[in-house]
Amino acid sequence: MSEQSAVEQSLAGADTKSGSFLERVSPNVRMGLLAGLAALALWMIAMGINSEMGLFWAYGLAFGFVLQRSRFCFASAFRDIFLLQHGRTLKGVLAGLAVATLGFGLVMSKQVPNPSLGFLPPEANVLPIGLHLVVGGLIFGVGMVVAGGCVSGSVYRMGEGYLASWVSFAGILVGLLVTSYTWNWWWDLSIADGWRIWLPTYFGHGGAIALTLLTLLGVYLLVVWWESRSGMVIPETPFAGSDDEGFRARIGDNLRQTFVHGWPAVTGGVALGALNVMFFYTAHPWGFTGELSRWMLSISNGLGVGPGELLGAASLPGCTLDVSESGFLSHMFFLVWGMVMGSFVAALFSGEFKIRRPRQNRRYAQAAGGGLFMGVGAALAMGCTIGAFFSAIPSLGLNGWVFAIFLAIGAWIGTQIIQRID
Amino acid sequence: MSLKQLDVRGEICPYPMMKAVQALKRLKPDEAGLEVITDHAPALETIPTQAVRLGYTSVIEETGSPEWTITLTRK
Repeated sequence: MSEQSAVEQSLAGADTKSGSFLERVSPNVRMGLLAGLAALALWMIAMGINSEMGLFWAYGLAFGFVLQRSRFCFASAFRDIFLLQHGRTLKGVLAGLAVATLGFGLVMSKQVPNPSLGFLPPEANVLPIGLHLVVGGLIFGVGMVVAGGCVSGSVYRMGEGYLASWVSFAGILVGLLVTSYTWNWWWDLSIADGWRIWLPTYFGHGGAIALTLLTLLGVYLLVVWWESRSGMVIPETPFAGSDDEGFRARIGDNLRQTFVHGWPAVTGGVALGALNVMFFYTAHPWGFTGELSRWMLSISNGLGVGPGELLGAASLPGCTLDVSESGFLSHMFFLVWGMVMGSFVAALFSGEFKIRRPRQNRRYAQAAGGGLFMGVGAALAMGCTIGAFFSAIPSLGLNGWVFAIFLAIGAWIGTQIIQRID
Repeated sequence: MSLKQLDVRGEICPYPMMKAVQALKRLKPDEAGLEVITDHAPALETIPTQAVRLGYTSVIEETGSPEWTITLTRK
């Protein structure tokens, strides 16, 4: 089951030994290098505007690169448990959460040395728990499975050339705006009085980290048990290196393993968890639906048809609906488009970029509808699978777990739906 | 014994895998297996996994950029 190909051979430089470097490498590598240079040029432009934008562009590239290389998809993590009785991606997610929990715990213990006083770390995604989170998780879970990818999944597949993912992305933007018109109603209903439970307040830093890691271990055991019930557990396709033990061949193998062959889910999860810790240390936990909502709210408010003032939104961290007027080019703008670019570069290198049109037009409707659901759900839950889950559980907030439970239930409903759409 | 062909290029996740499983279950006794053509990289993990559960072995061949032919035959 090896994926040996002309691409891989030429990356190792094994087929031809003459000509300049660019002539020897395959078209994919040439295109990848070209796109990489373009990403570098845009980084220099961003640095020219200000260094924060350059930094966020670089983070975006890194997140997008890792997402593409490990084909990291939160939608499949939750869906495949039900659809395939297979926890490959979910185990990667759990590994990433464990890494981020340790890192976030360390960062937050410096920010709030004495958690029992009841103060919360200002940037961590400890968000109110209430009916909005339940409804948001359910709707988001359905939407991500129907659309065939969550928000981060759609963003990296945009870079791979999936037209349906661009449609999902548009649906997400509209969905965020739809919820913003009902935000004040939800604020009075359950957000304003929602409990913001930060585990270190009750268990101390060490206790909260240990409790979270033990729960992650418990979920891991549950996944393995669930897989074992299906009777057959298949290991991931291993990378098959060349038989040549020479230095050039070994380096070629390393390059192919990194740039061409898909990474194991656990590698992707650990890399994303580590990047998330670095990002939190630099700015705040990873998340970007807040930025997407900022685009929609500034446009709609600018046109005079927006939702206007959103009660309390500015007082909450995470990916809450954001009406701040920081101009079109914000640092977060560079993070979002950096992710698309990072995935594009990675997809070119691996030869996985292609403009893909869905075979049937109903897939566009599915992508748009799924996206709309995700947008509506993410605005209610104040984050997507990243902000309200992948950054919330390591923030040691109870809200991350509540969201995860309803996300899983929503994913199960979504799985029932897609099996009925041909 | 012939191989049936299934083209799932352009399908979004997880339809390449779902269509392949559906086609495997509908194979007639005189059909030796299934050839799936896909441009969806995640399917390289999911299709072989599900095929093994249904009693098929798989061979992946890269036939384009990006395009793969997964040949699934009865064990």
